Amino acid sequence: MAYEALDFYEIDSLLTEEERMVRDMVRDWVDKEVIPNIEHACRDGVFPDEWRVALGEMGVLGAPLKGYECPGLSYTAYGVICRELERGDSGLRSFASVQGSLAMYPIWDFGSEEQKNYYLPKMASGEWIGCFGLTEPDYGSNPGDMITKAEDMGDHYLLNGAKMWITNGTIAEVAVVWAKLDGVIRGFIVQKDDPGFTAPEMKGKHSLKASVTSELVFQDCKIPKNRILPGVKGLRGPFSCLNNARFGISWGAVGSAQACFHSAKDYAMSRIQFDHPIAAYQLVQNKLAWMLREITKAQLLAYHLGKKKDVGDWIPEHISLAKMNNVDIALEIARVARDIHGANGILDEYPVMRHMANLESVKTYEGTHDIHNLIIGRHITGIQAFTREA
Amino acid sequence: MGIFKDVFTFRKFGNNMNIVVLLKQVPDTTAKISVSSGAVDQDSVTKWSMSPYDEYALEAALKLKNITNGSLIALTCGPARSSKMLTDAAAVGADNLIHIVHEGYLDSMQIQSLLTAAIVKLDGEVILCGKQAADTNSGSTGPGISELLEAGCVTHVTEVSFEDGEFSAVRLSSSGSEKVVISSPCVFAFDKGLNELRRPNVRGIMMAKKKEIISFSPEDLGISISDSKVQIISHAPPAEKAPGKKYEGASSIQTVIAKLRDEANVI
Repeated sequence: MAYEALDFYEIDSLLTEEERMVRDMVRDWVDKEVIPNIEHACRDGVFPDEWRVALGEMGVLGAPLKGYECPGLSYTAYGVICRELERGDSGLRSFASVQGSLAMYPIWDFGSEEQKNYYLPKMASGEWIGCFGLTEPDYGSNPGDMITKAEDMGDHYLLNGAKMWITNGTIAEVAVVWAKLDGVIRGFIVQKDDPGFTAPEMKGKHSLKASVTSELVFQDCKIPKNRILPGVKGLRGPFSCLNNARFGISWGAVGSAQACFHSAKDYAMSRIQFDHPIAAYQLVQNKLAWMLREITKAQLLAYHLGKKKDVGDWIPEHISLAKMNNVDIALEIARVARDIHGANGILDEYPVMRHMANLESVKTYEGTHDIHNLIIGRHITGIQAFTREA
Repeated sequence: MGIFKDVFTFRKFGNNMNIVVLLKQVPDTTAKISVSSGAVDQDSVTKWSMSPYDEYALEAALKLKNITNGSLIALTCGPARSSKMLTDAAAVGADNLIHIVHEGYLDSMQIQSLLTAAIVKLDGEVILCGKQAADTNSGSTGPGISELLEAGCVTHVTEVSFEDGEFSAVRLSSSGSEKVVISSPCVFAFDKGLNELRRPNVRGIMMAKKKEIISFSPEDLGISISDSKVQIISHAPPAEKAPGKKYEGASSIQTVIAKLRDEANVI
């Protein structure tokens, strides 16, 4: 059955022709290359290298970045790309989010001209994979207290510490690592072969199985002085990156939800119980109607946020709301879709349980659901509730 | 009628030939088709796409463009909505986009006349098209325009190459495949080949957006479409397939074998 994306309010009709062409290109690729291979990739626990090549060839990596051989698309187009990729798999979208928003973006925004010219063209083409090192084993929601530090040794920097839950880490050529230099958070570009740097893969995930997740370990890791990102100090650096990635996730979650809805609807229409398709029963229709309702609302949030990003009229709290809401409803839709599929829902013949397991990660990474609530709570009240300290 | 000449400079020198690919927008092959009052209800079609055989022709035309360093012109005849398909063709590498705009019904001979008039104006030397459109399946366009152009025509082509001033086409034949060598002007009507249409990329899409589509009416081409020589009496949906029969349990094995052998003739 050909994929028909649920778009009840025809929100895609608001996209520009260019955005729709990009959508069709990515959707077609996902149909032909990702959907037929995703379960295999998950079973093997690998991110297929040909997907890296294809994303580079399509020219979608670092989608909204301009110059330095980057695509120069709108933020809305970037959102659409994330949505179409995540319709295939959240691990695939994670790859693109990390490459574009977390690795390319900080170099593009905070890097020197020399750094931009050296790294960005190769990252946009997919030749070099990037990763982003912020989270540490003991510092997830609270990255400000990170332990990883950099020391100025005169003619080089020395990095020590460890990062965890790093998407693309093991396969990355370039890592943008955040570490404290004299107590201030700074960004550093670490390359795969730098002495004292290793990136062992984390195994045993029940979620995002087609995505590589790693630790980054720095033991007297020596990097040249020209690898510091000169343009930013403090948490503003990593948070700027996360804002863009979270924006992409708010669209991506819609893609997951659309995939689950599509599968649940098809299944409900063809599964016969008590002589009728289960879609003919009110309880199932209620579930499908609820899915449609929530997806439509999520689409409107994502689209409007895209427009706000494109004109530069946004605040981080707007992104928090969209990321939190859209992932939340996508996860619940995946669960309800699994329920509609009955026992078949647990098989990899259907995409729903894979999306469900993936979305558990998506709910937690890039600012947990609860942290985004606290961000919005702070916006409403003016009182921060992240810590008990004043 | 120098209208095209005003817009482009189409020159023939060396290998820089004008390659024309004919594209038709048809209901997507996955779209539901409904028939009302004896005709296909076009308004009910939710998705329009490039006819699949035309995609093979376009891919071959793109390859031919690279080999010959020629200019690739994508040409379509149809309603305003068809222009999207030309932009899609530009995104994968078509150089010039020509749209003969006509909203109403055109019979196959009228379409051939319009396309031929445009090809002549464009100095098209080699023409590629699908062997038939996915909607009408009439298969008349390629041979029809070759007749009007007094050009050679090779049908059921799967690939075309160009060497020493001649084209060589591989076509399906009853004994497998055969190679036909032909010189321009010529028309190649494409069957499904090995080379699927390449995927566009963002750079191509952004370039395509800037590419102008030149539109012409039948009058611009000097073609009158007042009378039609072809009349479609009616359209009808395919007959519904008879429901299958279901046999369960070991006791039905003999019956099933007998039916497969005697009725279905598959064993």
